[in-house]
Amino acid sequence: MLDSLQPLVFGMLALIIFISAAFITFSRNLIYSAFALLGSFTGVAGLFAMLGADFLAVVQLLVYIGGIMVLYLFAVLMTSGIGDVRLTNRSIAVKIALPLALVLFFSLGKLIFETEWFAQQTVKIAPTTAAIGDLLLTKYLLPFELVSVLLLSTLIGSVALARQELRNSKENHD
Amino acid sequence: MGIQTEEMMLNMGPQHPSTHGVIRFVVKSDGEVMTEAVPDVGYLHRSIEKIGEICEYNGFMPYTDRADYLSAMNANQGYAMVVEKLLGLEIPERAEYLRVIAAELNRIISHILSLGAVAMDIGAATPFVLALKEREKVNDLMEALCGQRLTYSYVRIGGVSYDMPPGFIERSLKFLADFEPFMDEFENLVPENKIFIERTAGVGVITREDAIAYNLVGPNLRASGVDWDLRRDMTYSVYPKLQFEVPVGVGSQGVVGDSFDRFIVRIKEIKQSISLLKQCFAQIPEGDFLGEIPRVMKPAVGECYVRTESSRGDMGYYLISDGSKNAFRVRIRTGSFTSMSIIEKISRGMMLADLVTFIASLDVVAPEIDR
Amino acid sequence: MENFAIHIHESYLYGLPLSVVNLIVMFGAAFVVLLGFVAPFAGLLSFIERRIAARIQCRIGPNRVGPQGLLQFLADGVKSLFKEDLIPKVADKPLFIIAPYLVFLGMFTSFVVLPFSSQWIVADLNVGILYLFATAAITVVGLVMAGWGSGSKWSMLGGMRSAAQIISYEIPTGLAALTAILLAGSLSLQEIIAAQGPHPWQWYFFDNPFTFIAFFILFVALVAEGNRAPFDLPEAETELVSGYNTEYSGMRFLFFFFAEWAHLYVLGAILTTLFLGGWQVPESLLASVGAESIAARILELVFFQLKIYVLVFLVVQLRWTVPRVRMDQMMDMCWKYLVPIGFFCVAGVAIWMMLFPDGVSFVKYLLIAFSSAMVLYYFYKVYRNFKDSRAELELNPFV
Repeated sequence: MLDSLQPLVFGMLALIIFISAAFITFSRNLIYSAFALLGSFTGVAGLFAMLGADFLAVVQLLVYIGGIMVLYLFAVLMTSGIGDVRLTNRSIAVKIALPLALVLFFSLGKLIFETEWFAQQTVKIAPTTAAIGDLLLTKYLLPFELVSVLLLSTLIGSVALARQELRNSKENHD
Repeated sequence: MGIQTEEMMLNMGPQHPSTHGVIRFVVKSDGEVMTEAVPDVGYLHRSIEKIGEICEYNGFMPYTDRADYLSAMNANQGYAMVVEKLLGLEIPERAEYLRVIAAELNRIISHILSLGAVAMDIGAATPFVLALKEREKVNDLMEALCGQRLTYSYVRIGGVSYDMPPGFIERSLKFLADFEPFMDEFENLVPENKIFIERTAGVGVITREDAIAYNLVGPNLRASGVDWDLRRDMTYSVYPKLQFEVPVGVGSQGVVGDSFDRFIVRIKEIKQSISLLKQCFAQIPEGDFLGEIPRVMKPAVGECYVRTESSRGDMGYYLISDGSKNAFRVRIRTGSFTSMSIIEKISRGMMLADLVTFIASLDVVAPEIDR
Repeated sequence: MENFAIHIHESYLYGLPLSVVNLIVMFGAAFVVLLGFVAPFAGLLSFIERRIAARIQCRIGPNRVGPQGLLQFLADGVKSLFKEDLIPKVADKPLFIIAPYLVFLGMFTSFVVLPFSSQWIVADLNVGILYLFATAAITVVGLVMAGWGSGSKWSMLGGMRSAAQIISYEIPTGLAALTAILLAGSLSLQEIIAAQGPHPWQWYFFDNPFTFIAFFILFVALVAEGNRAPFDLPEAETELVSGYNTEYSGMRFLFFFFAEWAHLYVLGAILTTLFLGGWQVPESLLASVGAESIAARILELVFFQLKIYVLVFLVVQLRWTVPRVRMDQMMDMCWKYLVPIGFFCVAGVAIWMMLFPDGVSFVKYLLIAFSSAMVLYYFYKVYRNFKDSRAELELNPFV
């Protein structure tokens, strides 16, 4: 039943991703761009789900929407002058960006059309969580640990920054 | 390291759930932490003092209710006392006792509402409802006494308007017998709650020096550790004949003069009021409830100032007579107004949620600020 | 459902391709489930909450519409539908309109993976528990959107508060849930339940001291994630007027409340699933009605609901008893207490599993005895309070 639906669902997901991505890029309103991320992230999660990567799909939702997007929102809302309605995304350096984008577009296009794709006829829906967990703790242990060390240092760094600021503001008050 | 932050101006009030009436605060905040909260009073000004110059002495009495409608009896009493002093009237002892009974009942009404409001502003809805339930019972007593539930106008110049209805003492004692366990329950529910302590202890600390310098009065002053109660130290009416203690803030959970102390002092004052009422009911003599009063009140030229201990503290009436039927000048000095003045100083660097606690714990009543 | 789709395709919509009919049927089923199942649940919970709150506050509560006021939520819903749908002039209109739906969506999609009985589950995802946490993330976006879109500073503060709160509390939530996941060895809700048993000593709640603590961490963190008192800072009435929903009216306003009550139910369901044995029914009881019969499924549903409602009752009672904490205190609690204790519990459970692969019965019975003592003490206190507050008196002056 799912197989017959796949093209339709894929089309819908692709449309969602495309529209929201266009919105992110072209919207003149900073906050709209940030909120449009929701569409593209959800769409990508949907694509993962279609490919049978259930764990990845949910983690995409959890991390990208729950973490990264809210972080963006925080950053945008804390931008100075956010209360100003006329605040817009200024398009900076169109002259440089446009050729770059075109080059990227054509090279990617070339890549897509020249690659020989191995089309898998049926997607096997099988739990992937256990396999991912095994791999993370065996084959990819080093990268995994490196990432955790990176995260830890980020955490400590941000705490240090926040503390410094707190101390400064306290001194100012006294 | 300097992250540029922008101050946000928040307009708290005149319509805001935690300002208890129409008070406005201009709050400058940096996120959750405020840098400044400037009170803007005057939204509830009704020119009561000016009305006092237009009315006859007797006719002004109902307006004093409105000066502080949560503690109308105390406001009545103060005005009656100042006119009596100006006229040189002696009032019967039974009337004095009735006034004290009314005033102490009113103190319970006012304090219990304030306690409930503090709890509600901190986010606990239930204590407020429980407090209101008890307040209704006192209101029933008041209704039995004078037929009104909020603006009593019970006290008259020269005495009070009615004597006690038959069975009033028994009914009141029955109420008090039930009210005392309720206060224990309330104490168990609110000030012994860990979150409540965390939210109030050490928040909005008013030092003894500040309290005196900013002219705080009543429970707010006593919570800062100043042992001063007009009922004892500049006594009036029948208070010298009654035994009572003056509760003072001790900083049992944090610092002397914090919001928690103000809360506790009010609870203790309610308990003292209960004891005062019991003494009054035991001592009240038979006799007239209204003394001989002149048909037309024309006090001699002069001026007079009388202070009473209202629910919110020192409430003063200043009266100038020019010998006519109307007062030349009426001035009411209220506790809430001076309480407002200290908010700006104390609230610097406070969190938004603490400002709400702080205002509630000061027990400011909007009509009393502006009159 | 597939057969049903084929049936519909053959009898009514033979002009359309089967896949489209399938899609229509799936959306239709989701619609029916939402409208006929989730909405009454949220409504019923609102009724329960109001009645309990009323009892706590010496009131009666809604008792006029329907038997004992059971239909009050319908009346309120209809009333809200007819209210003016007010959009402030300064509001960011598109965001203002979308926000309630996002919140609604985030809450209600979580019902998809809730296991109501051994067979009644819409989708038994093998990452079910992660999915539950992921849907909460959509809610956050909705709340921030509502806060920003309202164009009011109070709303924005509320939205920011809720985002900070929910994001922070997701960490202890995940850590506490991890203990149960470790024990069960699966992320699927059905498998986690199946790994437990119907009897208390088979629940993960009493499995070892670390899960016992983790249960309470999860409880607190979920209450905080649901923006409920004592953590209702985003809609703190006395501080932020009403937080992110200040400017909303009518049906949109109702959506926020629907989501809140739906979360209350989801909270109970998560805790029940992870720690209290979910829908598990004792074998003997199951056998007496026939293990495969519909009655058995209903019995399982009843068990599941009972556990949820006990937890819901606790949360409601908590809400109407304690004051609200302050923003910094709440963050302190999350980062200084819940997160470290959560890590401690995860490590503890892992070590415990290594040392005692079969569990220790003695510890289980000790924990059960301790909890029973706590419950007994609770009832004793309630009884005492009832007894103390019996003294009522009539003070009507006209009597």
